[in-house]
Amino acid sequence: MKWEAVIGLEAHVQLSTETKLFSRASTTFGDEANTNVNLVDCGLPGVLPTVNKNAFYKAVKFGLAIDASINKVSIFDRKNYFYPDLPKGYQITQMEKPILEGGSIEINIDGLKRKINITRAHLEEDAGKSIHEGFKGTGIDLNRSGTPLLEIVSEPELRSSQEAVAYMKELHKIVTFLDVSDGEMSQGSLRCDANVSIRQKGETELGTRTEIKNINSFKFIEKAIEYEIKRQIAVLESKEKVEQETRLYDSIKNETRPMRSKEFANDYRYFPEPDLLPVVITDKEINDIKKHFPEMPKEKSIRYVQEFGISESDSSIISNSKNLSNFFEDCIKIVNDKVLLAKILVGDISSLLNKDAKEITDTNFTPENITQLINLISDGTISGKIAKDVLDQIRLKNIEPYEYIKEKGLTQISDEDAIERIILEILAKNPEQVEAYNNGKDKLFGFFVGQVMKATQGKANPKSVNLILKKALSNKHT
Amino acid sequence: MDDKTVRTIFYLSRLKQDKDGSEKIKNDLKAILEMVNSLKEIDTDNIMPLHNPLEETSRVFEDTVSSDNEKSLFLENAPESDGDYFIVPKVVE
Repeated sequence: MKWEAVIGLEAHVQLSTETKLFSRASTTFGDEANTNVNLVDCGLPGVLPTVNKNAFYKAVKFGLAIDASINKVSIFDRKNYFYPDLPKGYQITQMEKPILEGGSIEINIDGLKRKINITRAHLEEDAGKSIHEGFKGTGIDLNRSGTPLLEIVSEPELRSSQEAVAYMKELHKIVTFLDVSDGEMSQGSLRCDANVSIRQKGETELGTRTEIKNINSFKFIEKAIEYEIKRQIAVLESKEKVEQETRLYDSIKNETRPMRSKEFANDYRYFPEPDLLPVVITDKEINDIKKHFPEMPKEKSIRYVQEFGISESDSSIISNSKNLSNFFEDCIKIVNDKVLLAKILVGDISSLLNKDAKEITDTNFTPENITQLINLISDGTISGKIAKDVLDQIRLKNIEPYEYIKEKGLTQISDEDAIERIILEILAKNPEQVEAYNNGKDKLFGFFVGQVMKATQGKANPKSVNLILKKALSNKHT
Repeated sequence: MDDKTVRTIFYLSRLKQDKDGSEKIKNDLKAILEMVNSLKEIDTDNIMPLHNPLEETSRVFEDTVSSDNEKSLFLENAPESDGDYFIVPKVVE
C-alpha cells in the first residue's frame, strides 16, 4: 500500500524586541531568574496591559515578506488554562482577528521549488519556565513570561520530514534577515509543533492527526516527524486506528510518546480580552516599514555577483546566511580580492564552522584577521596550503596572520632559482620515477610536486613549482 | 445544563465542587443561560461584533525597557520560594 504523510507546522517565533508584548520589562535571555519581571508579567490583580508597538511592526514586516494580508485592526483574546508558569491563568493571544492572514513561503528541495501556503500568523505572549529538577516542588522563573511570540501556522501542505525541515530553514532565514527574530533555536527563539497524519496516496480526506509539541532543532524536527510517520503507518498497516492526541518527542530515545494529561480534552474557552482595546496599524506605518525593508537573500545574491564578480554558487551560499553575509560585507570594504574572499568563506571557513557546529559570529574569525589572510594569499606571500594552517591557528589560538607567518617563517618561496635547485635535487634522488614519468606515467607529476612541497614545508609557490618542474622533467627527457 | 457540564466547568475553573451547592449552581447557570438566550431573538446578521464598548484604540508603548527588578519583593510575597525561584507543588509533564 502506498502511504502519504500530511504535515502542517505551527512555528513559534520569538520576536527580537527589547521589551515584552504587554509590559516594559526586558526580554534578555539567560538573566538571573525572575529579574525581568514586573507587575504585569507576574499577573498581579488590577494591572492592565498595554501594547508594544515594535512587536506589531515586526509582525507586519514578516507579513510583507511572505505576502500576507495585514489586518489593520487586530483584536486580542484570552486563552484560558491552568499551569503554574502562566500566572494569570490565561494567555493573551489572537484568535478571531490575527495580525496576518494568508501568504506563502517557498521551499526548495534539490532544485525543486514549492510554495507552502500560510494560514495565519498571530501575536501572543510566551509563558514562564517551569524547572522540575533540583527543587522540592517545581521552580518557576517568570523572565520569559510575556515575551512576544509570532505563531505562524502553515497549511497541511508538507509531505515529508525533509520538506518540513526545508520550510523551517526558510522561515528561519526570513525572520533573521528581517531582524524579526534572532532565530537562536538553542534559546527557544524558533520552535514548532508538528501536526502529522497519514493517508493513502490519492486520497483527498485527511487522516487522524497527532500533534508533536515543542520541537526545537532542525535535526529533531526531521527525526520526530520521521518517527511519527513510521509509527502511524505501522498502526494503520496492523488495521488499528491512530489516536488523535498530543505527543512529545524524546530525542534520547528517538521516539514520540503521548503526553500524560489527556483525561480531559482541552477547552480553552476563548473570549475577547476585555483589558485590551483593538490595536490599529495605519497605512502610513505600513509604508514606513516597507520603505525601510532590508535587503533579502535573493537580492543580495544577485548584487554580489554583479558588484563583486564572485561566482553564483558562492554568492548564493553566502547570501543565504545572515551571519555569513554580514561578515562578507564587513570584509568587502577592506579586501581587494573579493573572489578569493568568497571562495575561502564558502570553502575552508565554512567547513571549519561545520566541524565545530558554530556560527561565524561565535568564532575567532574577524573581518580583520581574514582580510590579512586574504591579502597574504593574493600578494603571493603565502601558499594556499599555509593559508589553511593559518586559518586553523586563528580558529584555535586567535593568532594574527601577519605576525604568525613572520614569526614562523612561512613566507612563500617564489624565488625561482631556489625552487629550481630543490627540484633538481629531488629529480636526482628519484631516477626511477623520472624514467617512469618519461615513459608515460603522467600521474607521477603529482608525486614530484608533493616531494617539493614536503622539502619546502609547503612554502613553495605552486605555480612556480609547476612551471619549473615541467621544464626540468622535459630537459631530463631529452 | 446537566451535572456533567457543571462538573466540567468546575474542573476547568479549578474549583472544588460542594455537594449541597451543586444543585443551586446548576439552577443558577440555567437561569443565566435562559436570560442570555433571549438575545437570540435579535437579528444580528449585518452587525459587526463589538469587541469593546469603548470606541477607542489601544495605547501602545515604545520598545525601551522601563521596569525595575523587584524580584525580592515578589519572592517575599510568594507563598513559597527557593533561591531565585517561586516554588509550586510538583507538576511534571
